[in-house]
Amino acid sequence: MPRTTLFLLHGLGLSGRSWDGVVAALGDELDPVVIDLPGHGSAADSEAVTAEETAVFVAARIVAAEPDRWLIAGHGIGGRIAAIVTSWAERGEHGLTPADGLALVAAVPPSPAPQDDRLRAAWAEGAISAADAAAFVDRDIALALPEPARTAAIEDVERASRVAVLEWLERGVLEDRSDEVGVLRTPAVVLVGSQDAGAARELPAVPDAPVHEVDGAARLLPLEAPQEVAAHLAALAARVRDRPALPAAFARLIASDRVSARTRRVMLARLTEPDPASRALSAAQHELLTLVLARIVPQRGTDVDLASRIDAGLGAGLGDGWRFAELPPDLEAYRRGLDTIAALEPGFASLDAAAQDEVLDRIADGALGSDEKGLLTADRMRLWFGDVQADAVRTWLSHPAAQAWIRYDGFADGGDGPRKQGFTTTHAGEWEAWQRDWRTGEELQA
Amino acid sequence: MNLTGMRHYAEHDEVDAVVIGTGAGGAPILARLAQAGLSVVALEAGRNWEPTDHTPDEVDAGSIYWLEERLSGGNDPEAFGGNNSGAGVGGSTLHWGAFCPRPDARDLRLASGEGVGVDWPLTHAELLPYIEEVERFIQVSGPADYPWDPTRRYPLPPVARNSAADAMARGADALGIRTTDSPAAIVSRDVRQPHFGVRHGAINSGATHQGDRVASKASMDVTYLPLAVARGAEIRAEAMVHGLERDAAGRITAVVYRKDGVDHRQRTRNVFLCGGGVESPRLLLNLGLANSSGEVGRNYMAHPAAQVWGRFETPMRMWRGWPSSLISEDMVRPKEKEQDFAGGYLMQSLGVLPIALASNMARSGIRGERLMDLLDGYDSFAGIGVNGECLPYEDNRLTLADEVDAVGLRKARIDFSYGANERALEDHAIATMRAIWEAAGAKDVFVIARSAHSEGTLRMGDDRDASVVDRDGRSHDVDNLYVCDNSVFPSSLIANPALTIMALALRTADRFLSRTS
Repeated sequence: MPRTTLFLLHGLGLSGRSWDGVVAALGDELDPVVIDLPGHGSAADSEAVTAEETAVFVAARIVAAEPDRWLIAGHGIGGRIAAIVTSWAERGEHGLTPADGLALVAAVPPSPAPQDDRLRAAWAEGAISAADAAAFVDRDIALALPEPARTAAIEDVERASRVAVLEWLERGVLEDRSDEVGVLRTPAVVLVGSQDAGAARELPAVPDAPVHEVDGAARLLPLEAPQEVAAHLAALAARVRDRPALPAAFARLIASDRVSARTRRVMLARLTEPDPASRALSAAQHELLTLVLARIVPQRGTDVDLASRIDAGLGAGLGDGWRFAELPPDLEAYRRGLDTIAALEPGFASLDAAAQDEVLDRIADGALGSDEKGLLTADRMRLWFGDVQADAVRTWLSHPAAQAWIRYDGFADGGDGPRKQGFTTTHAGEWEAWQRDWRTGEELQA
Repeated sequence: MNLTGMRHYAEHDEVDAVVIGTGAGGAPILARLAQAGLSVVALEAGRNWEPTDHTPDEVDAGSIYWLEERLSGGNDPEAFGGNNSGAGVGGSTLHWGAFCPRPDARDLRLASGEGVGVDWPLTHAELLPYIEEVERFIQVSGPADYPWDPTRRYPLPPVARNSAADAMARGADALGIRTTDSPAAIVSRDVRQPHFGVRHGAINSGATHQGDRVASKASMDVTYLPLAVARGAEIRAEAMVHGLERDAAGRITAVVYRKDGVDHRQRTRNVFLCGGGVESPRLLLNLGLANSSGEVGRNYMAHPAAQVWGRFETPMRMWRGWPSSLISEDMVRPKEKEQDFAGGYLMQSLGVLPIALASNMARSGIRGERLMDLLDGYDSFAGIGVNGECLPYEDNRLTLADEVDAVGLRKARIDFSYGANERALEDHAIATMRAIWEAAGAKDVFVIARSAHSEGTLRMGDDRDASVVDRDGRSHDVDNLYVCDNSVFPSSLIANPALTIMALALRTADRFLSRTS
């Protein structure tokens, strides 16, 4: 059974242990991995403290963990890093496989987020005092912190690298990473404290994410309300648990240096569902197309919305260089073909699979059609149905999950280096050390 | 390809020649004319790519196909787009399979030998030195001993066989059918290509078919075009030709093309039309040019190209290795034919990438649970395919549809139906391939009927009433217009067309040069 790993990124000045209360409340469903960001906690001595270096550091930790599935939660500046890393993961950059979920916890957004200048002043003069560290913690809380969490947080702030904190305050939070992050397709949740008036509640990077206010809390949510934060993380995990995901080994192959950046980009872009606004068919035509496609390609191991993809392609007018001379342009042919089925087989939706197949057999045999205006004759239905069948398999097999299911790895013939790896073995029954049964992720047996 | 430092001509300069298209026809001509010191400009409708720009992703690789819509009619409508039409500097050679058999002498004399079709106006012997020159220049890999031509030698040893080739060899051996390593326009080891640099040896990837990132494949952008540019030729990409201006005597004076939405006009003394079997006749029909014979667009031929697939016990992973690594010429003239037909066919082993194969399966009517059952075993498939003779017929022709394209030219409509000869030949080929797979132990055998390539629409011939260009590729009507691509083929030849087109291109250029010097 694949496990889900939860990577937890702390806020400025804190360390991984700021998540201790959350981790304790999480239960066994998730495998938490807390990361001390560079300049903080156990990584206080790190030399690489810019936002970019921090994100690269986090990405490397995730890649090294080889998670089956993974979520990432980020608090404060950790939220900004989590959003950046999630966008990299969606594109397969830095060796990352796509994330399954993102939690932004009182997060610094990807757009420039100037902080209170008094914060900077506490560090600007030199090493921070114990009193300043306590003030730093207390300033961001509305709910009293239990001990030993409060003391631990103050200690973390005291030992945080002054260089790192100033880097974050003077540059890190002011960088505009919004174009780089873009609009994320990864399911997300946004948590803010109800007492944090300045918190960004609507984030352009995650426009559809539910926003939860943590009652009475301010900005140190993992410390102020660990139970509630844990509950929201568990809810995110539950929400994405049954979403189809690429087999982990296959996702790692796509992210690997055997695959070119262009190839990786186009393959992973197909994980995004098309915008329903891009559809060209009517709702009834779309629904009927969905049923027809389910009989042409009764998917195994995947659940790709073929109708929405084909419909969006029709709307975009994407041609393949030819069409049957007897048929109108593609979109018109689809409209008329579907209307013909609807007119001649009005009960198609309620037929069982075998009866639906029988209707499609008649179309393929040129035995179902109409001479009525706006419909297709039987001969034309036969031609159109050939196009539908080809579009169906092409759309399905272009999806990485379908390629994993047929155990295909021909796209992994070399990355962007000066020498492409290609294939070393070409004969039956031979394989290379990196190859797996991509459907299951298992090693290949002799 | 790298075009830095390329010579540029002004549009008002009258150049010696404009070459339309940079594929297997246009590129060798461009190089030959530039080498002779002529001022030459190539106009290519597609964009310029570096080899490393290509992708093994099957859908995204569509960017190297000719995707302007064509209308396909008749009883056996041919698929275009990815099946046989390229766009980009290098033309269709960006996506050709690099399967590189020589044309058979008997196929140039179909009327004399088989009593059907027409003979070529030039002989195999005239073509052979050019074929050998092309093989040397593009550095073809092939077997040391070619069973059907003991004198033949290839510059490089063969590329690695793959699982499909092994299986086909096993089955064919059991039946007494001879096979050998296919001649491949893919270098089996690193070579230096003049004016390009190092072409890497084959990386054993089936995706090489759709844009080779290591330049192991002899596409024109890594072979003839760098030579042409080094000798002073200019290549203008994304330049779609839609007009030919003429003087009062009917000679062409300028080529009109659209680039970035703006029309340009290049003055020229000669034009070489090398747009392929569909685009070349489409342009001439649109312009009403070179058609006193009424033959423009006629004699359309496409190879019957059936495939037989089977599943094997051992995982084949046929996307590894060069897809066509085994050939048999034993059926160029089959000895035993249950049903008589003219000509014959070439056989090759096949490894086809999943979307291309599954699309053809779907178009063959395989769907539903059977489709899924078969695709479940995709990694255990191997195929055999043929290229067979296609005869010209009255009804198989390219005409113009009423719809127009982006530059205002009417779209091509291609009507294509098999005749009795193609059906009988296809039946024979399928039976042979089935027998080979049976002997090799294949299960779940299924057939995909398809056709490929587009030939014959601007026939070459001596009779100006029955052909469009003469034996030198020159228009019978317009004496400074030449054509070189598969449209000039008088018969279809069962060898895949690219090698013959390249050889013809060199000959066309030489004939032109000998006339003008």
